[in-house]
Amino acid sequence: MAPLSDSDTTQEEPAALPGDGLREGIVDDLRRRIGDAVIDTHIAPNDDLWVRVSTDAWRQTAEALKAAGFTFFSFLSGLDWLPSPYGKGEEDPTAEPEEPDTEIRPGVTGGDTRFQVFARLVDIDRHVGITVKADVPDDAPAVDSWTTVFAGANWHERECHEMFGIGFNGHPDLRNMYLPGDFEGFPLRKDFPLLSRMIKPWPGIVDVEPMPAQDEPEEDASS
Amino acid sequence: MTMMSDRQQLSYIAGQAADARLNVELETEGMTLNIGPQHPATHGTLRIICRLDGEQVVWAEPGCGYMHRGYEKLTEVRTFPQVTTLVNRIDWLGSFANEVPFILAAEKLMDIEAPPRAQMIRTILFELSRIANVSLFLGDLGVQMGAITPVFLAFRDREYVLNLIEGATGGRFHPNFDRIGGLKDDLPKGWIDETRQVMVKLREFCDIIEDLLFGNEIFQSRMRGIGIIPADIAKDYGLSGANLRASGVDYDLRRDQDLPMAWDKADFKVWTHPDGDSFARCWVRLQETRESCRIVEQLLDQIPAGPIMTKVPRIIKVPEGEAWVSTENPLGEMGYYVVSKGDLGPFRVKIRSASFNNISIVPWVLKGVYVPDVITILASLYFILGDIDR
Amino acid sequence: MGLVDKGRMPSPLTKLFNMSRSYSLWVYQWGLACCAIEMGAAFGSPRYDVMRLGVIPLPASPRQADFVCISGTVTDKMAPAVKRLWEQMPEPKYAISMGSCANCGGPYWDSYSVTKGVDQIIPIDVYVPGCPPRPEALLEGVVLLQQRIKNEDMAAKWRGIEATATEQARLDREAGRSAATAPPEPEREPIVVGGGPIE
Repeated sequence: MAPLSDSDTTQEEPAALPGDGLREGIVDDLRRRIGDAVIDTHIAPNDDLWVRVSTDAWRQTAEALKAAGFTFFSFLSGLDWLPSPYGKGEEDPTAEPEEPDTEIRPGVTGGDTRFQVFARLVDIDRHVGITVKADVPDDAPAVDSWTTVFAGANWHERECHEMFGIGFNGHPDLRNMYLPGDFEGFPLRKDFPLLSRMIKPWPGIVDVEPMPAQDEPEEDASS
Repeated sequence: MTMMSDRQQLSYIAGQAADARLNVELETEGMTLNIGPQHPATHGTLRIICRLDGEQVVWAEPGCGYMHRGYEKLTEVRTFPQVTTLVNRIDWLGSFANEVPFILAAEKLMDIEAPPRAQMIRTILFELSRIANVSLFLGDLGVQMGAITPVFLAFRDREYVLNLIEGATGGRFHPNFDRIGGLKDDLPKGWIDETRQVMVKLREFCDIIEDLLFGNEIFQSRMRGIGIIPADIAKDYGLSGANLRASGVDYDLRRDQDLPMAWDKADFKVWTHPDGDSFARCWVRLQETRESCRIVEQLLDQIPAGPIMTKVPRIIKVPEGEAWVSTENPLGEMGYYVVSKGDLGPFRVKIRSASFNNISIVPWVLKGVYVPDVITILASLYFILGDIDR
Repeated sequence: MGLVDKGRMPSPLTKLFNMSRSYSLWVYQWGLACCAIEMGAAFGSPRYDVMRLGVIPLPASPRQADFVCISGTVTDKMAPAVKRLWEQMPEPKYAISMGSCANCGGPYWDSYSVTKGVDQIIPIDVYVPGCPPRPEALLEGVVLLQQRIKNEDMAAKWRGIEATATEQARLDREAGRSAATAPPEPEREPIVVGGGPIE
């Protein structure tokens, strides 16, 4: 039999779990590498790290992070910050329809556009991960492709393109991953309706009502 | 008679030409072989399109999407408990493990933690799902190569684990047991003793499979040295779980992260293998199953008393924010990126499923491989279609 | 089989043929998703053995199968393959739809890529509800199918009349045939496990 790994391959002392100091160090290192392409950062204490970069520096960020030790590519996807004009389908159909909310409110680290791409990379040796975001311009939704940096981004970018309609410049083969060839529309965009829900009202509407006689008070509706 | 001798001459020439391919231009290139979507060897509706040169694969491409159910869109129109029900069905063999990262992400956003008893039971059920999932993998390994007995053994021994999960949660397959803030119910009486007995049986199953399969000469010659994936390519593509550890990368999310689960209370070993071939991937999974049995046995002795659920409101509205949680699922690293806007349900959920990344390496790894090895490499990479297509 | 075609099969022979047919079924497992695992447990595991009912699980190809058990979600991308499979099976053929995804779309009733029920593509004889249905439920579905086969009119089946009762009556009216001489229609009313009419 070929030599198997020896009996004890677990590290004697697993690397210490990353603290916020390490995360701040990563942000400083990134700023040194790509300069003012770093627009905003957010560190959730003892938890996680988010960085938003400018659209032009999207691929450059990948190269910089890979050089900094983030060699594990977890995923890449898109975000659509437009609130859904169709609601959740759980509203009482006999009540007055509410005014749909059209304000785009992006989340952590902000944003200026409706669409954003975001990706997650992990540094396996230091056990720390980073979530990188970038805006996608509204008029010509496209960013650079990461396939030259991380080969695994190929499929993720295909899926993102098919679901959101975001283009990836330099991707070798941007065709549909999941949907049949003749599918029209970009499903994960908020203005893509789910037709079954338009036709059939959600049968469980009554279940959303609070049960009478409970121990703890229900959370305030204004929260 | 003349016709026959002509035909005989032709067949003789063709035989010569087949031997000396360089002398005569034979059309062996460019045959397209389509494996699937319905094929007994693929674990479900995966379609592999291969372009062959004789017996070697020149180019291969998996065609996914035959099980695409639109999870990420569906989660946007459901409440958090409803998403929990839906999310069970992504990795449908070890279903409890799918709920956990999503619930943990929601709890992270709400800034609450489940009580210690719930964390311990969650971890035990998580490891039981892993055992249920990987034991079917071990059985299916044989079927991919034509040995049918292991799959009957696997189904028989999986029934014990499914009985346990059903006894605790009420569902053999899709337990839908995790709730934001804890679990739905407490364990029934006698469950802990039953689990101890079942773990003994599962260890025997692992020994039998090792005997039947891993020592078998045919298995070794079909798996050793086939489908080698070096560590840096594996990291580039985002392979995770046993696939990554079989390429020598020591990374296990149970040990390398701080989650409110009970893995730090058990002493377990993370198995790696330096080779990175198909055999390594199968071997690592076998050892991990044994390790899971050990974890369950250790944790069973330590279940603390206490409540099973923290105080959460009846109608749960998760505060605004974004959270990412990933765990070491049976298939690899599974994670959820949950964006919430303070509603009853999430605003966007990005499901990072392990098999999507595991299968994205197929075009790379199948270049230059012989046709029978295509099946064994896919078997060793181990995917579940619901995980790829979501 | 001239007697069968003309519809003049003596009834003990019909009963004998039907009984032997129902106890020698070869089932094609079209396992798509989670229900496929329960189908595997029902058909392949030693505990919920289906062979004791006279049903053998693993045919070499759909052309040798008697009935197909469609288990799991059918997506729009997969639907043409299901249709092609159904067309490949020779008569007499039956179909069991297992699980709520195959029955009606199931938990994905509002998805953009799921076919809401495989009965939009092929005609179904038995619906087995559940998510996933227990292996015992699937075995009950098989037993109900066997009961239907036992009570079947073989003559109509051999002539390949696939229409339902109402459809056949309409065809008869259009063809000008009176009800007295019209051939008896085969039942295609589907059965649901756990309730519903049985012949």
